[in-house]
Parts: sequence; structure tokens; C-alpha cells
Amino acid sequence: MNALDEEIRQLLPRLRRFALSLTRDASSADDLVQSCLERALSRWRGKRPEGDLRAWLFSILYRQFVDAHRRARRYARMLEFFAGPAQNEPSVERSVIAQTTLQAFEQLNPEQRALLYWVSIEGLGYKEIAEMLDIPIGTVMSRLSRARQALRQLSDGEIASPVLRRLK
Amino acid sequence: MITLPPTEHDLQAYVDHRLAADDRQRIDTYLAAHPDLAAQVRAWQQDAQRLRLALAGAESLPANPGLDPTLIRQRMRQQSWRYLASAAALLLAVSIGALSGWQAREMTLSRNTLPMTDALQAYRMFAVQQILPADLRVQQGSELQSWLDRYFDHAHRLPDLQAAGFKPVSGRLLSTDQGPAAMVLYEDASGRRVSFYIRPPGPNNTLLPRGSRRDGELQAEYWSSTGYNYAMVSPVDGPALSAFKQAIGPAI
Repeated sequence: MNALDEEIRQLLPRLRRFALSLTRDASSADDLVQSCLERALSRWRGKRPEGDLRAWLFSILYRQFVDAHRRARRYARMLEFFAGPAQNEPSVERSVIAQTTLQAFEQLNPEQRALLYWVSIEGLGYKEIAEMLDIPIGTVMSRLSRARQALRQLSDGEIASPVLRRLK
Repeated sequence: MITLPPTEHDLQAYVDHRLAADDRQRIDTYLAAHPDLAAQVRAWQQDAQRLRLALAGAESLPANPGLDPTLIRQRMRQQSWRYLASAAALLLAVSIGALSGWQAREMTLSRNTLPMTDALQAYRMFAVQQILPADLRVQQGSELQSWLDRYFDHAHRLPDLQAAGFKPVSGRLLSTDQGPAAMVLYEDASGRRVSFYIRPPGPNNTLLPRGSRRDGELQAEYWSSTGYNYAMVSPVDGPALSAFKQAIGPAI
């Protein structure tokens, strides 16, 4: 048990950074890491999950983020239904074209962010990612390719971000 | 081996350095002859590089001790204890409720009821089996008195059982269908336990004459005063019994 805790402790900074890249907010990132660890520790039955602990934790964290995100969006839609559309029209700031790669990255959808993060920063293999997301490896490659193109276009300011398109 | 022109997937693998050396070389050669594609691939590589620079800075994150796995484990255990504890309190409430219902029926049938059964049940649950943690654990008996006073107005003072070597150590709130109850556990140096139990007389205002009864290995002393019903429960063979009687006797 303590060996596991130690391993998790080593991975904590990376989990937190990955969570931050998804939530873009430090405190919700840590909340996400916490619920990920709670889930992981409660599922742990003294047996190593197949493959890498890091990949296992990443996939739990990602799934929890996506679920929470989905719930939040559903909630936002419900609010909109009852209270009318939110008043946050695209502001000047929001329509400013991404000037840095990081800004562009932050406008990608969560899956694209996760993919780029895993591949470019964590150096996870395509096969590993395919197993984490439970999709074929070819799909991982195609989505990765699309994510890279989207990042490039956003950085160049060739297109408005998907957020802006939806709001307009 | 890959074929030329490279597919979209091959190019991704090239960017991520996941191609075999000879495949990598083939793409290098191909890109040298196709500057547009080469520029695109280079831009992807730069993006990846910039992302690494922007996102990989671990030292910028402030420490958060709340995320330590050992601590999270502890917290989860406490939570499940709390959950178990409330489930058990509910169970106790239900079983007392069922018994009281039965008693009420018995009462109308034969007027033969056993007073303060809930006090005995609570004793078995918390003092004998010790399956639940206390709500409050103290060093000083006086803390328990003020804890009790928060819930019960003008209640009987906690009896002083020092003479028999017993000191109040912990308290627990319970719900019964007669109203909210509390039990204070006393312990002596050798770990023997007796309990002081208090609850309202219930909807029928069932006040009790001073009495005592034996239930299995336990002895209950019970009485009513200042608007509440009380019981003190101890093992039959314990030395606390006479101390009890002395402590409570004159007060009633």
C-alpha cells in the first residue's frame, strides 16, 4: 500500500499539470486530481492495473473531467432554457486571436487537449492512449492529426475558435 | 516500412519520433523535396515544443498537501466510518422503533412493558460491541456535562462515579422514536464500562417510577426526573452498581 502511495506521490505533479491543462483553473484542477485519486484508491484491489500506473491515473482523471464537463454543459443548457441565454456575448478579449500556442491550446476541445498533452508532453504511446480511451489506434492517429491542425490554425488565427463560432 | 507519399498517420508518427530509423529517413528525403509539407511538419514540431515549454513547468505549482494519497486514504476511511456510523444509528433508531411499537401493543394488551430497552440496546451497541466511534471523546468529565447541556435542558447532572473508579470518557447522540437520546460512557482503569442514558419521556409522556431490572448480563437502573427518562446500564457483576445507587439515590 505504501509503495503505491509513494508511486502516486511521484506522479502527483504530472497529474496536476495534466488536470490544469484540462480545467485551466488551478483549484478545480486540484479538485479533479483529488476525485481521481479517490476513485483510483477505492478501485485499487492490491492488484496492479494492466500497464502503466501513470496511464491508468490519466485515463481515470480524463474520464472524470469529461463526465463533469458534460454535466456542466447539460446544466448550462438547462439554465439557458429557463433563464434565457447567458449574457456573455463574445467580448473583445474573447475574439482576440490566440497569440501564443498556449492560448490556442486552451481553445481546443478537451479530447484534443488530452491527446496533445499525452503525446507531446507525457510521451505516451499511441497504443497506450488507444487503450486508455478504448478506441482503435487508427482513430487516435486521426484525432491527433486533427488536433494538430486545429492547434496550428488557431495559433495562426486562420479560423475563429469553435467557442466563438458557437456563440455567434 | 512506409510507402510514399507518407500518410497523415505517418507524419504524426514522424513528429512524435515514433518511426523506425529507415522510415524516418525516407520521410526526411521526401520532405526535402516538398517544402510546403516540410513547413507544415516543422510547424507541428514547433507547436509541440512550445507546448512542452508552456505546460511542463512543474515547479510553478504550489504544494497541495491535501492531495497526498495517504491523507486521501485516511479521509476516505473516515468518511466511510461516518457513513457506517449514521447507518448504524439509523438501524438502532429503527430497531428501537420496532420494539417500542411492539411494546406499545403489548402495553395495551397486558400492560407489561420493559422500561428503557433502548438504553440497554445502546449500551450493547456502543459499549460492548464498540462498533461505532463516539461523537465526543474527552479528558475532562465537565466537557461532557456541557456537551449534554447543549441538547438537554436542566437535565440530571452526570453522576459522579469516581468513588468506584469510573470516569466519563465519551458521548454519543442517538435518535429514538421517543425523541433524541444521548448516552455517556464511563470507563474505569481496567476498561470496564457503564453508561448514563437520557431521553425525553416520549409522546405519551411515559415517566418511570424508580426501578431496576436485569436483562441478560446487564443491569439497568432507571428513573425519571426533570422531564426526562434516565437509565444507567452496567454489567451485572460490576462494582459500579453500588456506586451508582449511591450517586443517584439521593438525587431522586
